[in-house]
Amino acid sequence: MKSKLLVHGASILFVSLTLLIALAWIGSRSGVTEASVRSTLAAASFADLSNPFQKALFSDAMNIFYPGQFDKNKAEVSHLADAQEKALRDKLENSSEKEGLTLGAWTRILGMYIKFIIVYVLVMLLTYYGVQTLGAWRFCRKKSHDEQGAGSFPTMVLKSLKKAALFIATFILFCPAYVIAYSLRTELNTDTVFFMIVLCVISNGLLMVYSNKFFAFLTAESRKGYVETALAKNLKSSYSQRTPDGISYRALIAPIKRFNGHVFDAIFRNARGQYLSTIKEQASFLISGMIITEMALNLHGYLSYELFRQMLYGNAAIVIVMILGIYYLVKATEIFTDFLVYREERKYEN
Amino acid sequence: MLSLRNKDVRWAFIWLVTTAIIAVWDILFLNKPALKLVVAGFFNTFIIAFLVIFVTLLMGWMATLGLHYLQEGKHKTGYLLLNFFFNLIRSVPQVIGILLGYVAVGMCIQQGLVHSGFAIFALLSFCMGLFIFLEMADCMWERIDHYQKLDFYNAMRVCGVSQSRIINFNILWKNSRIHIFNKLISVMGIAVFLQCSVDFIISVGLSTQANQVTLPTTLGNLLANLDSKQDILAVGNTLTHPLYFPHLFFEHLQGLTVAFLIVFSLLCIHNIANGYAERHRL
Amino acid sequence: MIPERYCITIKSGNRSIVKCDDFGVGWEKINFLFGESGIGKSLLCKAVYGLLDRDELDIAVNGETYEKHCSDTLTNDIKRSGFFVFQEPSSHFNPLLRIREQLSEGSLSRRQVLDDSVRRLFENSDDKAIQKILDLYPKPFRPSGGEKQRMLLAMAFKKIDSFLESKKEDRNAVFVFDEPTGSLDNNYRNLFLSLLLEKYAQKPFTALFITHDYSIISRIHTHHKNLLSHVCFKELSRKTDTLVELHDFSSVEYLKWLDASRPPRYEQPSRQKPVLSAQANFSIFGRSYTICKDEARTIPARLTIGKGEMVYIKAASGVGKTTLAKIIMGLYRAQRFSMTLSGIDATHETPNSVWAKRIWGKKAGMVFQHADEALDLAITIRETFQGLPLAHKLNSDDIKNALAQLFDRESLTDAFLKRKVAYLSGGQKQRLNLLRTLILNTDLIILDEPLNGLDFLGVKRVLGMLEEKRRAGSSILLISHNEEIFDSLIDRERIYYLA
Repeated sequence: MKSKLLVHGASILFVSLTLLIALAWIGSRSGVTEASVRSTLAAASFADLSNPFQKALFSDAMNIFYPGQFDKNKAEVSHLADAQEKALRDKLENSSEKEGLTLGAWTRILGMYIKFIIVYVLVMLLTYYGVQTLGAWRFCRKKSHDEQGAGSFPTMVLKSLKKAALFIATFILFCPAYVIAYSLRTELNTDTVFFMIVLCVISNGLLMVYSNKFFAFLTAESRKGYVETALAKNLKSSYSQRTPDGISYRALIAPIKRFNGHVFDAIFRNARGQYLSTIKEQASFLISGMIITEMALNLHGYLSYELFRQMLYGNAAIVIVMILGIYYLVKATEIFTDFLVYREERKYEN
Repeated sequence: MLSLRNKDVRWAFIWLVTTAIIAVWDILFLNKPALKLVVAGFFNTFIIAFLVIFVTLLMGWMATLGLHYLQEGKHKTGYLLLNFFFNLIRSVPQVIGILLGYVAVGMCIQQGLVHSGFAIFALLSFCMGLFIFLEMADCMWERIDHYQKLDFYNAMRVCGVSQSRIINFNILWKNSRIHIFNKLISVMGIAVFLQCSVDFIISVGLSTQANQVTLPTTLGNLLANLDSKQDILAVGNTLTHPLYFPHLFFEHLQGLTVAFLIVFSLLCIHNIANGYAERHRL
Repeated sequence: MIPERYCITIKSGNRSIVKCDDFGVGWEKINFLFGESGIGKSLLCKAVYGLLDRDELDIAVNGETYEKHCSDTLTNDIKRSGFFVFQEPSSHFNPLLRIREQLSEGSLSRRQVLDDSVRRLFENSDDKAIQKILDLYPKPFRPSGGEKQRMLLAMAFKKIDSFLESKKEDRNAVFVFDEPTGSLDNNYRNLFLSLLLEKYAQKPFTALFITHDYSIISRIHTHHKNLLSHVCFKELSRKTDTLVELHDFSSVEYLKWLDASRPPRYEQPSRQKPVLSAQANFSIFGRSYTICKDEARTIPARLTIGKGEMVYIKAASGVGKTTLAKIIMGLYRAQRFSMTLSGIDATHETPNSVWAKRIWGKKAGMVFQHADEALDLAITIRETFQGLPLAHKLNSDDIKNALAQLFDRESLTDAFLKRKVAYLSGGQKQRLNLLRTLILNTDLIILDEPLNGLDFLGVKRVLGMLEEKRRAGSSILLISHNEEIFDSLIDRERIYYLA
C-alpha cells in the first residue's frame, strides 16, 4: 500500500506542479495578449472605415501611394473594413466573457465542484448496488433452469413479452444520456440534480457493462475448485427462486447480500473481491459519462458545462483549475479503491 | 465456427440486417440531402472506429513490449518513468483528453497544416487511441504476467526458446489473440460511444476552431444538428401523444435514424463482445 | 445399491471427451484406479457422483440424461453419505474462509473440528500447532500443499466417521479420493492409507482411489496383506481416441517388474571433469539448504554429476527439490551460490544473458513437473519443436522419429502432428514435455517428476528411454517422489539428500 501511495503522491505532485506552472504562465501572458490585440487595432485606428467619407479618403490615399492597382487597393480597403468591424464585434461579444480567477469565479467553481462530487458519489453508490444485483440476478437466472420446461401457449407468450421488455430495458440502458434527455425534454425538467443522477445511473451503458463484468466474475468463480468441495459438503446448490433451498428474490435485491448455507455465498463474495479492483475503471467511465451529459445538455450551473463554456471563451486559467479539480477527484477515487482492495486483502491475511 | 447459434455471430447478423432495413426505409422516405448526410455520418463514424482499433492495437502492443523489456532488462528508472507516464494518461478522463485533442486537430485544419481527408481521420483516430490504448496494453500485460507466473514461460526459456518468440508468438498470438480480439470489439464500442459524444458536444459549439465545417460528418455531430434534435424531441412527445407514433417514421426520420443507429450499434457491439467471450469461455 | 457397471458418455458441444461402456465399481471394496493422466478417471467418477455441470457438458449415464441421473435417489444417497476429495488441494479451498470454518460447514457441521482423524493426519504436530493451521486462511504457500491435502482428507474422514457411527444400514456410501497422495510425502501417504484401511476394517464402505502412485501396491502387499481380498486394482486404458475401458491391473506383474529392476553398471570412474559440480550449502527466500550424501543429512557434499551418470535427489514434499533445480538452471538466484556446468562457472551474479546465450537449451535443459503448465497448450505438436536452438530446423520426419521414442509409430501421422497439445491426454502431454527437452541433447538434463501422469506402460517406456540417453552420454539429475521405483534403478552412491 505504501508503494501505491507513493506513486499516487508523485503523480499528484507532478500534475499539480505542471498545471500550476501553466496557470502562472498564462497569467503573465494575458497582459501581453491584450496589449498586442490593442496595438493591432491601433494600427488602423486613424481611420474609421465604417464611415463612408473616411473610407473613400483612405481609398484615394491608397490609389496615390500604390498607383496602377485600383482593384487590388479596393479589395484591401474592403478587407481592412471587415477586419475592423469583426474586431469590434468580437470585443463587444466577448468582453463580458473574458474573466480571470477572481474570488467570485472561485466561489462559483467551488459550488459546482461540490455538486459534481455529490452527484458522482451518489451515482457510484447506486451503480455499486445495481451492478452486483443485476449480475447476481442474471447468474442465478441462468443457473436456475426455471424457465425451461413446459411450452404452453400462454407461457410462450409470457416468455416473448419478457424477452421484449428485457430488450427495451437493455436498449434504454445503452442509450447515451443526451438521447434520453432530449427525448424527455418536452415532458420533464431535465435540468434537476435528481434527473441528472437517474440519467447517469441508467444511461451510457454503465450498468450494463459493469453488471456484465460482475456476471463474468461470478461465472469464473463458479468454475473454481472450492465450489466443488462445497458441493461435496452438501451445501445448498439450487438457484431456483421458487424452492426454499434456492435463492430468493429478497436475498438478491437486499443491499447487503448474504446467501447462508448456499454455495453461491462463496461465489458471490469471491467475485465481489475481484469487482472491487474494477471500481477505478468504473469511476473513470462514470466521470466521462457525467462530463458528456452535462456538456451535451448545456446544463447551466454544472461543472462540466461551465468547463465547456470557459474552453469556448478561452479562459485558460479557469479551465486549468477545473481540470485540476477533476483530476483530484479521479485520483481520490483511485486511492480510495486501492485502500479498499488493500483492506480486503488484509482481512484474509494470515 | 460461424453459426447463427453463436450469440456473437447472431448479433453481428442482426446488426447488418437491421442496418440494411433502415437503409432501405431511408432511401424510400428520407429526403436526399438528409440521406446523404446520414450515409456519410454512418460510414465516417465506423471508419474512424476501425482506425481507432488499429491505433489502439499498435500502441498497446508497443507499450506492453516496452514495459516488459524495460522490466526484464532491469532498467528500473526507465520502467518507472514509462509506468508513471501511462498512469498520468489513465488519470485523465477520456472525454476531456479527446475533446482537447479534437480542438487541437481543428486548429491544425484551420491553419492549413492538415489538408487531406484521410489525414484528418488518422489524427482523430490517434487522439482517441491515445486515451484508449492503455486498456489494450493492460489486457496484453495481464496475459504476459499470467503466463510468466506459470512454468510455461520458464520451461520454454530453459529449452532455449527466445524471449521475443515466447512473448509475441506463444503468449500474445497463440494464447491471447482471442482475448485481444475480444478487447478490440470493446474498443470499437468505446470508440463509437466517445466519438458520438465528443462530436455531439463539439457540434453544440465548443469552439470556432473545431466545428462541423472543419471536422468530418459523423453520427454524433448529426445528432446535434437542429433537425435531429427536433426529431428526438418528437420521440418524447409521443409518450403523451401515442397516436403521433407513426409520424415518427416518416416526418422525423433523420434524427430517429441517427439516434437509433448509435444506440443499436452500441448494443450490438456489446452483445457481440459478450457472445464472443461466452463462446471462448473468457 | 450401486450398479455394477455404468455406461457413461461425456461430450462438450459436438466434441466427445470420454466414453466408457463398462465403468464398474467394486461394491464395498477399496478400488484403486490407475491410468494415464487425462484419460478421464476424474470425469467418470464425478459423473457417477453427480458433480459435473450440465450447463457446460453433455452427459449421459446409463442412457439417461444427466439431470435424471442427478435427481436419482441413488445418486442423492451417494452425495449425502459419501465424500469426494479432489485433486490439487490449493484450488479446492475457499480463500475467504479459515480452514476451521471450511472443516465445519455443510454436512460437516455436526462434527468436531479437531477430532482424532485430524490428529492422526497431523501426528507430528501437537494440538496447539494444529489449531494454528486451522486458524489460517488458505494462501498459496501457507498452509503448505501437504497440509492442505491432509485437511481435505480430514473432511473425508469426518464423513467416514459419520458413516461408521450411523446405525442405519447405508450401503450407498461412496468415498472418492482423487490423487490424494500427490502432495504428501511417503510417510503421510502411508499414514493416510493405514487410517483409511483401519476405518474400512471397522465397517466396509465403497472407496474409489484414483492414483498414479504404484508404490501403494507394494505398501498394501507388505503392510495390509489381510485386506488384499477387499482391494481391487483397476486400470483405465484407451481403446480409441475417446473410448476407454476399465480392466483389472495386475499388482503381481508390477511387483515382479520392480523386483527385477536394477541400477545401471557404470564403467571405471571417468577422469573427465564432472558435467555439474555445485556447492553443498546455499540459501534462498530466507531459508538455508544443504545437499548431503547420507540419509541422516549430516554430511554436506558437493552435488557432482559425471558424464553419463544418473543422480537422484531425495527430500520430503515441499522441502525445495524443485527450487534447487531452478537454481541450477539459473531461474532463481540463491545467495552465495556457485557451480560449474559443462565448464561454465556460474554464480548468483551471472547475468541472464549468459544463461540465455550459452546454457539454456545448449548445455542444460529441464523438464518441469506439470506438463499442462510447461507446454503451450494452444500450439500444435509440430510447433512445440519450433524455436528450439537446434543445428537445423526439424522437418516432419525428424519430429516423428523423435516422438517414436515414446509414442506408437502407427499413431504418428501428419494429422497427429497438427493436433493441438490441449487435445492430448495427460500422459501424452508428459511424454511430449520430456521429448521437447531430450531432443536438445544437452550435457545435463534435469527431470522434475518425469513419471507424472504416466500409466505403467508409459513409466516403463520413459525409464527405458532415460537409460538410453544416459548410455549415450547425457547426465541426468532426477527429482521424484517415486522413491520405490528410483531406489531400485539408481545406486546408493548417486543418491543425494536435500535438507
